[in-house]
Formats: sequence, C-alpha cells, structure tokens
Amino acid sequence: MVALTGCALLPFVEFRANRIVSGEPESVLAAGIAGWVLVAFVVLALAGAVAPERARGPLLLAAGAGSGLALLWALGVAAVRLQQGAPAIARVSIGPGAWLAGLGALVVWFAGTRATGSARVRRTAGAVALLGVAAVLMWGGLAELSIAREYAVQSRRFWGLVRQHLVLAGSGVGFGVLIGIPLGVLASRNRVVREVGLGVVSVIQTIPSMAMLGLLIAPLSALGLAAIGTTPAVIALTLYALLPVMRNTFVGLAGVDPGVIDAGRGMGMGRLQLLVRVEAPLALPLVIEGVRAAAVLVIGIAAVTAFIGAGGLGILVFQGWGQQADDLTLLGAIPMVVLAVLADISMRGLRRLVVSPGIEEGAVS
Amino acid sequence: MMLAPRMRPVIAAVAGVVVFAWIVGQQDLWVRALSALFPGSVRPVYPAATVAELTLQHLRLVGISSGLTLLVGIPLGIWVTRPSGADFREIVSASVDFGQTFPPVAVLALMMPILGFGLWPAVVALFLYGMFPVVSNTVAGLEAVPGTLIDAARGMGMGRGRILLAVELPLAARVIMAGVRTSVVINIGTATVAAAVGAGGLGDPIIGGINVQNMAYVLQGATAAALLAIVADGLLAGAERLLTPRGLEA
Amino acid sequence: MITLRDVTKSYGEVTAVDRVSFEVPSGEVCVLIGPSGCGKTTTLRMINRLIEPTSGTIEIDGRDIMDSRPEELRRHIGYVIQSVGLFPHLTVAENVATVPKLLGWERRRYEPKALELLEIVGLPPAEYAEKYPRQLSGGQAQRVGVARALAADPPLLLMDEPFGAVDPLTRERLQAEFARIQRELRKTVIFVTHDVDEAIKLADRIALMRAGRLEQYDTPETLLDHPASKFVHDFMGSDRALKRLGRACVADVMRTDVESTTDGTRAIPREACTDSRFVYLTDESGVLEGWVDCRVLDAGTPPEDAGTPVDWREAAVHPETTLKDALSRMLGFGFRNVAVVDAQGRLVGEVSLAAIEATMADADTHIANLEEGEVLGALPDEEARS
Ligand SMILES: Nc1ncnc2c1ncn2[C@@H]1O[C@H](COP(=O)(O)OP(=O)(O)OP(=O)(O)O)[C@@H](O)[C@H]1O
Ligand SMILES: [Mg+2]
Repeated sequence: MVALTGCALLPFVEFRANRIVSGEPESVLAAGIAGWVLVAFVVLALAGAVAPERARGPLLLAAGAGSGLALLWALGVAAVRLQQGAPAIARVSIGPGAWLAGLGALVVWFAGTRATGSARVRRTAGAVALLGVAAVLMWGGLAELSIAREYAVQSRRFWGLVRQHLVLAGSGVGFGVLIGIPLGVLASRNRVVREVGLGVVSVIQTIPSMAMLGLLIAPLSALGLAAIGTTPAVIALTLYALLPVMRNTFVGLAGVDPGVIDAGRGMGMGRLQLLVRVEAPLALPLVIEGVRAAAVLVIGIAAVTAFIGAGGLGILVFQGWGQQADDLTLLGAIPMVVLAVLADISMRGLRRLVVSPGIEEGAVS
Repeated sequence: MMLAPRMRPVIAAVAGVVVFAWIVGQQDLWVRALSALFPGSVRPVYPAATVAELTLQHLRLVGISSGLTLLVGIPLGIWVTRPSGADFREIVSASVDFGQTFPPVAVLALMMPILGFGLWPAVVALFLYGMFPVVSNTVAGLEAVPGTLIDAARGMGMGRGRILLAVELPLAARVIMAGVRTSVVINIGTATVAAAVGAGGLGDPIIGGINVQNMAYVLQGATAAALLAIVADGLLAGAERLLTPRGLEA
Repeated sequence: MITLRDVTKSYGEVTAVDRVSFEVPSGEVCVLIGPSGCGKTTTLRMINRLIEPTSGTIEIDGRDIMDSRPEELRRHIGYVIQSVGLFPHLTVAENVATVPKLLGWERRRYEPKALELLEIVGLPPAEYAEKYPRQLSGGQAQRVGVARALAADPPLLLMDEPFGAVDPLTRERLQAEFARIQRELRKTVIFVTHDVDEAIKLADRIALMRAGRLEQYDTPETLLDHPASKFVHDFMGSDRALKRLGRACVADVMRTDVESTTDGTRAIPREACTDSRFVYLTDESGVLEGWVDCRVLDAGTPPEDAGTPVDWREAAVHPETTLKDALSRMLGFGFRNVAVVDAQGRLVGEVSLAAIEATMADADTHIANLEEGEVLGALPDEEARS
C-alpha cells in the first residue's frame, strides 16, 4: 500500500541527457491518462485490502494486474513523450516512484493469488495479465525506456549471460541434488553422518558467498585447478545447494510414520524396496521443497560468482556498478529476479505434479 | 564448575566471540600469517585499513540494518497476527514470500538507481532484505501457538497484552529467534557484496584483491568474513537456545 | 500349523519373551492376551521375523522360519497392526495390491483380487478403491488394513491389536465382520489384544501371557472355567458367566417369526397379538420405527396411543451382537424383549431374555461347580510359586 501510494509522491521517471548523468524528475502525471488510470488502480487495491473476505481475492488480482499494466503503459507513454525531439543519446529511466509502484503491483498480485480460493479464477486472471503484458510489449512504447535501449545495445551479450547464469545455477543445483539426496538418506540411517554431516553443511551455509569464493582459491590452486572462473563457482554453488537438499531429504525421511514403515517391512519389503516405494514418495514434497530453496538460493549466489570471472548476469550488475550505469545494473538484476521467481514457480508446479494427491495436503514446507 | 546443559552452547558462543575479537585485533598476526602463506608477495596485507577497522565497518553496516529490521520486522509480524492487522496478513505474507525469492544481489542492485552508492543505500537494501525471514518467522511462530493455550489464558483473565507478553511471545521466541539468525547471517553475507557499491567492510579486501590480482588480500577478507559469519551464527544459535522456554526443550 | 518351541527373546537384562511354546492348528484363531508389556507383540513379531528370537524355534507347517529369507517369509504372512500403516501416497486399491505386486503378480490378477477383497471387508470398491487413506475413517482404514493383509491369500495372519484404536461401536462391528470373514476363509490367525471380551469373542484358543511367560493356553471356555492359576482367574475377570455370553451372538438365539406391520398402530387388531407380545412397526423398506406392546392393548389403551416410537440405532441389537451386549442393552432399557435389525435398521427378528437365560443355564452349572471350590481349591498357591 505504502509502495503504491509512494509512486504518486516520488519522481516517476527521470529524463537524462545521456546514459550516465543524473536526470530531471517527472511526476507520474506526465504520463497523462495512463497515469490517472494507474492512480485509479491503486485506489482499487486499497479497496481490495479492506474488502470482505470473499471479494478480496478477485479485487486484489484485478488491482494488481491492472496497476501493473497501467504502470507499464504509463511508463511507455511518458518515455515516448519525453523522448520526442530529444537527442538520440538521451535516456528516460524509470524513477523510484515507478519502481515502488511496480513492486506494489507485484505484491498486490501475489496477495490476490493467495486470497483467491478458486484455482479457475486464479488461472483466468493469470492468463489475462499475461495477455496484457504481451500487448503492452507489442505496442512498443516501452522500447523508448532507457533499460530497453540498454538491452538493445547489449542484446547479443545479454542472452549469452542469461544462458551462462542458468548453466552455473543449474550445475550447482544438479550437483547439490546428486550429492545432497544420498547424504540426506545416509543421515536418516546413520547418526554420525547426521550430526557431523549436517553440522558441516550448515556451517558452510553461513559463510558469505564472496568469502567462500575467496577461500576456495587457495585449496583449488593447491590442487592445480583453476581458482578463478567456472570451476570454483560451480563448487561453491554446489556447496550452498547441499544444505537445503540434504536437510530436507533427511527431515522428510525422518518424518515418515513408523507405523507405515513397520507395515511395509511386515509385508516383506526389503530395505531398498521400502526406500523406493514408501519412504521416497512420502519424503518427496520436502525433498522438492529443498530443491526449490536450493535453486532460488543458488540463482542468487551465481550473481556473485561473476566477480571471480564465472560469468552470468552478475557481470552486468558489477559492470553497471563500476561504470555507475544504472541501466546496465538493472539489465542484470531484473532478469535475475525473473529467473529466481520462475525457478520458484516451476518447482512448486513440479511438486503439485509429482506428489501423490494422497499426501499433498499434509505436506510441510 | 557445573553448567546447565542449556548454558553450554551459550558459553561456547561467547568464547567464540572473544577469540574472534582477539584474532581480529591482532594485525601482526595477520601480517605474519599472510606473509608466511604468500612468501612471494610484496604486500600480503590489505593496506587501506586494518582487519579490525574493516570488521567494525562491516559490523556497523550489519548492526544498523539488522537493528532496523528487528525494530520494524517483529512489530510488523505481531501486528498482522492481531485482529487490527489481520486484513494485511495476506499482503504481508505474500510480499515476504515473494521477497525471499529475490537474490540479495538483485535487491542491492535495485536500490542503487533509487538511492545511489555508499553506506546508506546498502543499509536500506540490507534492512529490507533482512525483513523477510524475520517477519515470516514472527508470523509463523505466533500462529503456531495453540489456540487452546490462548483460550486458557483468556479464561484465567489475562488481557490481550498480557497474553502476548506472557504466553504467545515466549512460545514463539525460538521460531522468531531462528528468523533473526537467518536474517543476520544473510545480512553479513550480503554486506560483503555491498563493498562493491562502496559500503566498505570486509568485502573491500576481497574485491580489491581480485581487482589487483592479489590473492593475499582476498584470503584476508574471506577468512575474516567467514569467521565473523560463523561466530555470529553461533552466538545467535546460543540466544535461540536461551530463549526457548525450558518446557519446550528437546 | 504354527509351532513355537521354547521361543525366547532377551534384550540385555530384560527377557521380553521367556521360553514360550504353543501350537496353533491350521484354520484356528489363537488370541495372545496379557497385561501391557508381557511380550505379546514381541512374540507375534518373531513369527514373521521382524524380531529375531534369541533362542527357540518357530515352524510354519513343519518348516523352520529361519530357512527362508525374511522378506520372502513375510510376503506369505498377512500382517495387520494397530496403527494400520496404510501407505498415504497410494490409493486404497494400490494399498491392497502391495504384496501381490511384491510377489510379481500381473495386473490382471491382482487388480480383481484387490477389488474382491474390498468387497469382502465391506467397502464397496466403486466407492472406495480410488480413495486415499486420509479420506477414510479409522474403522474404514482398518478394514483396508485387513484386506491388504489378505491380498496374496496368505494361509497365516498376524494381527497386533487391530481394533485397538477405534471407538467401541466400530470395534464391535469390525469384530463381527472379522468373525464372518474368518468363518469363510479359515485362515490360521494369531491375534494380539488386551481386551478379554474381544479374546473370548474371537478366539478358538487363548494364550494368556504374563511377564514374558505363557500362563495358560487353552480354549476360552477352559480358561474361564478351569483357570490354571489365580492370575488367570483374576485376569479373565469375576463375571465369567457373563463373559461366556460373549461367545454366543444374537443370531444364535433370536426368533425370526415376529409380527410386524407397516400400517402404524391404528390397524393392529387385538387378534394379531395372540402369538407374540410385541408387534413391530416398520416403514415400507422394513426399517424399524417402533413397536406396540400387546398387553397395553389388552389393558384397553386405544391402539393409536399404544405404539412406542423408537430409533433402531439405540433400541435394537444386530444379529452379530454378542449375547453379553444384548443382555446389557436389555437390562439398560428394562425390556424383556428387544428387536434385532440389520446394519440398515431393517427388522430381522427378536431376542428375548428367556432365550438368553436358557443359554446361561449351561453356564450356571459351571459357576455352581466353581463356587463349590472344585476348581478354586485346586489353584496353585501364588505366594509359594513366586
Ligand atoms: N527393543 C527393545 N529393547 C528393550 N526392551 C524391549 C524392546 N522391545 C520390547 N521390550 C520390552 O519387552 C517387553 C515386552 O514388550 P512387548 O512390546 O512385546 O509387550 P506387549 O505385550 O506387546 O505390550 P502392549 O500390550 O503394551 O503392547 C516389555 O517389557 C518391553 O519393555
Ligand atoms: Mg504390543
């Protein structure tokens, strides 16, 4: 709420003579009608928050999607207007007001999806919102914004970095799963693995990612491996992915009802059969939750590995900071957020897909 | 000396803090150790500031942001579980869940265009990012308190405020404290990255070292940052243990 | 046939089961009973090798159980436990098909078998096969547990307090159904309980244990009438005559030629009462709604006031109700007769106090014998023993 109202008070967009210099603020009303539409949706969101239980979900969904779309529209309108007649190197960048409004719109949207009981309403709203976003993008007004111009300059490199980021994070999560799940299984069978293993892995988790990359340099050089670049990055990411995967595997297995295990053994299941047919499916929701947490975490940490030359979207962020070029920074940061959110959503979807409906409700996260 | 078992991790954590403070204070020790490890290096120790100074900078950044986080996050979590804030419970939880998927670097990066470079933008970013685990655990901890207990307390004639202070918060303390611990540890990590936006701290020698290809600086910063995080985690784990009501101990 | 010879299980100092020997003939139900911690569960779990005996031998149809792999052995022994242990991630039908799948049966063999078993335990497959365990009540879950244990048609069934966690009414129903299924399938069953009434109702033989040792192994009648020790006597309870009523059920003594009408009280002529004292009132489908006491009619009360409306759930018994429970019901209500209805409440007969008394006459002679000291006098002296 605060965020949404904040957009009216803070500068909405900034007009700058070129990529680096700071700009002149413009209010949201510079966007004309679109600005007013945005304000209207903010009011709707406020109404949604205090509406009776049943109407709240749909109202919030409408307000979230509406204000998000109106925001994009308003940004486009403002950009086109300010850019008219300005020199080619001038930039119109997104101001704090618009950022807050965007954040607010997302929050309202997510609150709406939670407050809506009916999956059909949620899906319909999602489809409408996606169509809306597609329409705004097709319209092209947004291409006048500075970040879009930055993208136009960087486009070839950009997708390479996205891929690199995904490969880094994917390898980290992949190795983390390959090592973490067996470790979790061992931890559920063996006290030493449980106490020592989980202890060590939790300590690793507390080490700042940047420090971890620094600490890996010495041992890796000693082993004759590259201390800079992809190798240490993947090792570090794997280490971070380990804890959520291992711990959740262990907790999931430890939480299986002993009566169920006794019944399985009593019916003549061997240890492996019991693990594969009974324990694993019952621990699955927690294991997937662990993989989800690991994926989100590792996508974030992969950004830091850029500074030891492992590549990925972090490069854009660090370069942006180095050159004080906000647009470049954002071009790295925003896709990073999108990747993390997509990983989150897809793992939740996977969970719904593969977890037996018999235990879906009882799943803990 | 006999020690209650619950005090043991606390004593260990405090001892850890003392040892850490001593190590950080001994600049000589660092010089000698790094010289020994990097015999070829002309300048094995980060010249711009001592380890102690860097650690204090780091702690200042984390201390201010985490302090703000607690001041705002815990009351916010409490408020949305009260009838007066119940309407905002969904929105707050949704924002918190959504926020937790954000990469910390991205939060730092998104702050820059709004607030610029330096200490304060980093403080704001860390403050915001640290809120997520604190609010989410405060809400979870309070909501996990069995309704029957609250009913019983009401039945004994306690008012809302008394129930919160005497029943709900003590029972939720461990979960809240776990959130605080997560938040602070993440902040110590993110603060290291924040050196890249001019916030200072232990990230400085790491980033500086990479830039000038001096691995001794990197090791210096990385070791100190890792120790700081581990010691802080241990201390907060001890606090978590202390705040757990005796009856709930495993 | 199951044979236990000097079976012992020790945990360090503790001897959980101490030199227990007994034999269960094929097709019989042996109930293991005794105070908590006496070693019932341990004994049971040694038979399917979930616990390995410290010493002694266990044979199934003459084959030592140690000769087969534990997993192989267990697949041919049904196993039902108090906590049921249904697999929450599998449907009811999949749960029932677990052992057949382990045995490598093909789908076209195990699927119909699973459905058939659900039918047998009283869960219509059309309604229940695709449900998940969390959608079942405690009683339904336990039925699935029984069906699952029977799925591969094992000759031997081990049951550890299978009906211990359900409410008394459901337990009574489950016991009755178990008795019915057992009459049909004739499995060899070892059944653990600590409920004496349950043991008396279901057992062909009772093995009464105490602190790891077998106190007495015999038919329920013998345990009631000729307890081998004061402990057995006390454990079986002092109301032995009543307990014996737990061995028979209403179906054994009820009369089915009862008068009933669907027309309400008005249509009942006095002549209808010649034969029986009660005329029962039912709806079109035969569900009991009330009765008319003919003596009230005789006393001149107008027919429209003579009817007593009742709810069959409270004021009637079922054919599978034990005589003990029926008697207690009748005493509770102060009736000398009580209607017998099926599970849907349809009238099937009537049981009278006189009929129950007739079966008790047998018991009375035993009790008389007991009181004359014929048996009690022969009790071993407790103090001297220990
Ligand atoms: N794993 C074990 N280690 C040590 N002692 C055990 C173990 N399992 C059982 N016991 C002991 O063996 C004895 C018999 O236990 P068992 O479970 O067979 O009793 P039970 O007759 O089934 O009791 P209940 O009616 O309470 O189920 C008990 O005294 C118990 O404490
Ligand atoms: Mg037992």
